[in-house]
Amino acid sequence: MLVASLMFPALFALVLAGIPIAFSLALVAAAAGFARFGMLAPAQLYGSFYSASTNFILAAIPMFVLMGAILERSGIAERLFKVMQLWMARLPNGLAIATIAMGAVFAAAAGVVGAVEVMIGMMAIPAMQRMRYDNSLIAGTICAGGSLGTMIPPSVIAVMYASLAQMSVGELLAGMMLPGLLMVALFVVYILVDGSIARRRQPVSLGASALETGSAGADELLDVSLADKLKLTATSLAPIIALIVAVLGSLLAGIASPTEAAAVGAVGALILSIAYRRFSFAMLRESLHITVRISAMILLIVAAGTMFMGTFAANGGSSLIRSAVAGAGLGEAGMIVFFLLIVFLLGFVLDWTANVLICVPLFTPFIRSAGIDPVWFGTLVIIVIQTSYLTPPMASSIFYLKSIAPSDMTYGQMCRGVVPFILLQVATLLIVALFPALATWLPSQIVGF
Amino acid sequence: MTPILKLVDAVSRALFRLAEAVTLILVAAMIYEVVARYVFAAPTLWAFDISYMCTGVLFVLGAAYALREDAHVRIDFLAERMPRRLRLGIEAVIFLFCLAPIFASLAYVAIGRALRAYQSGEVEMVSPWAPLMWPFYSFIALGLVALALQILAHGLRAALGRTEAEFEIEA
Amino acid sequence: QEVTWQVPTSVPEGSPYYVNFLERFADNVELLTDGRVDIEPFGAGVLVPALQVYEGVADGVVQAGHSTPSYRVNQDPMNAIFAGFPGGMGPEAFITWIYEGGGKEALYDFRASEGFKSLVVGIGSSEIMAHSNVPVRKAEDLKGLKYRTSGPWAEVMKDYFGAVPTVVPPGEIYTLLQRKGVDLIEWGPPSGNLPEGFHEAAKYIIVPGVHQPTFLWEVVLKQETWDALDGELKPLIEKAADLTTMQALLHFYAEDVKALETYRKGPNEIITLDPEFVTELSEAGVDWITKKAETLKSEGKPEMAELLANYMAFEKSWAAESSYLIRNQD
Ligand code: NA
Ligand code: NA
Repeated sequence: MLVASLMFPALFALVLAGIPIAFSLALVAAAAGFARFGMLAPAQLYGSFYSASTNFILAAIPMFVLMGAILERSGIAERLFKVMQLWMARLPNGLAIATIAMGAVFAAAAGVVGAVEVMIGMMAIPAMQRMRYDNSLIAGTICAGGSLGTMIPPSVIAVMYASLAQMSVGELLAGMMLPGLLMVALFVVYILVDGSIARRRQPVSLGASALETGSAGADELLDVSLADKLKLTATSLAPIIALIVAVLGSLLAGIASPTEAAAVGAVGALILSIAYRRFSFAMLRESLHITVRISAMILLIVAAGTMFMGTFAANGGSSLIRSAVAGAGLGEAGMIVFFLLIVFLLGFVLDWTANVLICVPLFTPFIRSAGIDPVWFGTLVIIVIQTSYLTPPMASSIFYLKSIAPSDMTYGQMCRGVVPFILLQVATLLIVALFPALATWLPSQIVGF
Repeated sequence: MTPILKLVDAVSRALFRLAEAVTLILVAAMIYEVVARYVFAAPTLWAFDISYMCTGVLFVLGAAYALREDAHVRIDFLAERMPRRLRLGIEAVIFLFCLAPIFASLAYVAIGRALRAYQSGEVEMVSPWAPLMWPFYSFIALGLVALALQILAHGLRAALGRTEAEFEIEA
Repeated sequence: QEVTWQVPTSVPEGSPYYVNFLERFADNVELLTDGRVDIEPFGAGVLVPALQVYEGVADGVVQAGHSTPSYRVNQDPMNAIFAGFPGGMGPEAFITWIYEGGGKEALYDFRASEGFKSLVVGIGSSEIMAHSNVPVRKAEDLKGLKYRTSGPWAEVMKDYFGAVPTVVPPGEIYTLLQRKGVDLIEWGPPSGNLPEGFHEAAKYIIVPGVHQPTFLWEVVLKQETWDALDGELKPLIEKAADLTTMQALLHFYAEDVKALETYRKGPNEIITLDPEFVTELSEAGVDWITKKAETLKSEGKPEMAELLANYMAFEKSWAAESSYLIRNQD
């Protein structure tokens, strides 16, 4: 257990020394594996690496990334965001709101968090930068919007959680609905308020002219006639909406699984690029290059995280947590806080699959014997997983953003950017904690086929 | 030293190209499955296995060249404040003496698994398609060998003080 | 403790098989050996890949592992006889065959030939044949239906009934069933399916579980690990395995009945198939496994055919003479 308790500090030291996240995880996992398995450590570590390499949930990642890369490289994403700006010019921080909405729609439907963030990020960052949005706001919006898939049903995390906790999937999905909507509402209100303040401080923030140059002024955008707006919308927005409908529709109609829907999205993007005469083999090659690079980065972290989880457990990590809970003699509230804290800390290191896999079986017996409502507790855990995913220094959402961010967007800006959204998530957590009915009312109303 | 480093880079780049092709195969297989199931009511037996195998192969094959491009995300705000030689020294020691042996041993196990699967004719455990497993194991082994070599090359570059430019590709 | 084994299984921690089979075994071993042997259970994929428990043991990464012969059917179809197959014996007859009809010895010999010491740890009840969006009452109803299933049943459904077996990964079954992406699914016994929530996603529940009349799990060790054990401990661990299997099956029965009561109270409709249709389905399954055994025999591997003959003979006498048993069935 000594080894298990040293693993986290060692990991943080390596990460802060600037060693890539995946390699830091692998190194600590290997050291702990050696302590436990001796010369058999490589065989055990390879097993974990193999588990991650055969994890079907991850198959959606490369295809969602490819979809984003094609839309971005072909310039279609740029057109999309210009048209959205056209309609949202009157709205303070309009594009940020569009990004959050897109995150909610996509991440929710697909339930695969990292991929959707990368996909939306690739499209939204250049567009928002051209419209002179603040880097911190861009970063915060993309990280927060991209991670909404955790909360808004149907999320793969919730399905897995419910199955491990031996509770109703339908009830948990329904329970998360209102808290999820509350969270989105808080995000939108914050972005609007932030935008209004910024606009008052600096009345016309956008300069220059015309859509074609990509830097239309806010006032000029307001002047575009309704007929032109509709024409531009029909040519630019409608095809993309058709693509989104194809992806979401195939999911919601049960035609495709999330993995297959991601493929529909990638092919749809390719067809759009041909329709817009933006297709070229160079563009496709570039998109594939980006896809493999980002997928390799994300999946190597997942693989190394799986190695970390395995050696942590083998060295008695779970028993460590279990005996801490049993020995602490916490009351009901204390126990809940303690559990959420563990989820939060593990979320720094593990991707959600590993986190849920370790924590849920560990907590379930305690929660059940204390008579705590499982839907309410499950909702709290899932909010915390999403918050942990967003919280620096170890924040998957920031790592993913970093892999696509332009060089003028700094790590500091990213960290500052997510802070308001973390606070809003904590606010959601507290509201749900204080008013359990938010999570427990809806399930009692709607579960069934 | 430089020709060896260049050779390692070239191997990584070739595997990365292969990974790009695998991405296309993945997309095509998934689309085929949707059409086969929904339009022709005749889902394939292989699409599920192909999906996880392609994903596994494409990331493992892409990992080495991603390291060459320094695309494996790191948090460097503290490291950037360190003296250059200290930072490169840490990088060299960790890559050469910790990570290279670790990934070399993983590659060694991976090669053993591929050989064993080939000799025993191992097939997929739960798939109704039941494909032979050794090709998949071999790709994982190939990727891990390349990654181990690239880690070694990266460590050598750091030791020779050549890595600075790469660090700044992604700040 | 003298001996500590970290024992991984192929299902996640907390799932019915984990609690009912592996945790129960750990507790029984602790009790019977007076704490001299400590079994530390691990959920799927933590120490070794979920489906590679046998390999993990063979490689020595873990001293013992818990898994099911189901995962070895593709490698060697003989495993299907131990894992339970479509049209095979139900739990009552099967457990009797295992302990009294030579099944256990056959399994142990089979594993010994692979270098393993096996202990039967867990025999299960019958599974639910399907949670379905459409009612199924006769063979024609199955034609063209998208059916999430795997293994032998997938082949039987496709080749004998024209259904469309569909591979759906575990985490996506609920959602795809709810969205009617598949027409019907099979997963586990009633008490195992209840927490998965399939009854909330689809109206019809189809029984009996012809496709998986029972199922078996085992703990395997390397023969050397077992041989090195103190002679006093071996019979105690074997008794713990027997005890676990008996207790676990009874526990499944009890929980299954409660689960079915829950289903019946809700808006679901439970369809119990006509005996003629059940026979038709069973015969297709038996035909499937007989052909497998014959194919192996023609390749010079008669072991499966011999074992199947023993199995079928036992089933035949059981079927012919078990009518004296009171089953309390409506
Ligand atoms: Na975090
Ligand atoms: Na089943």
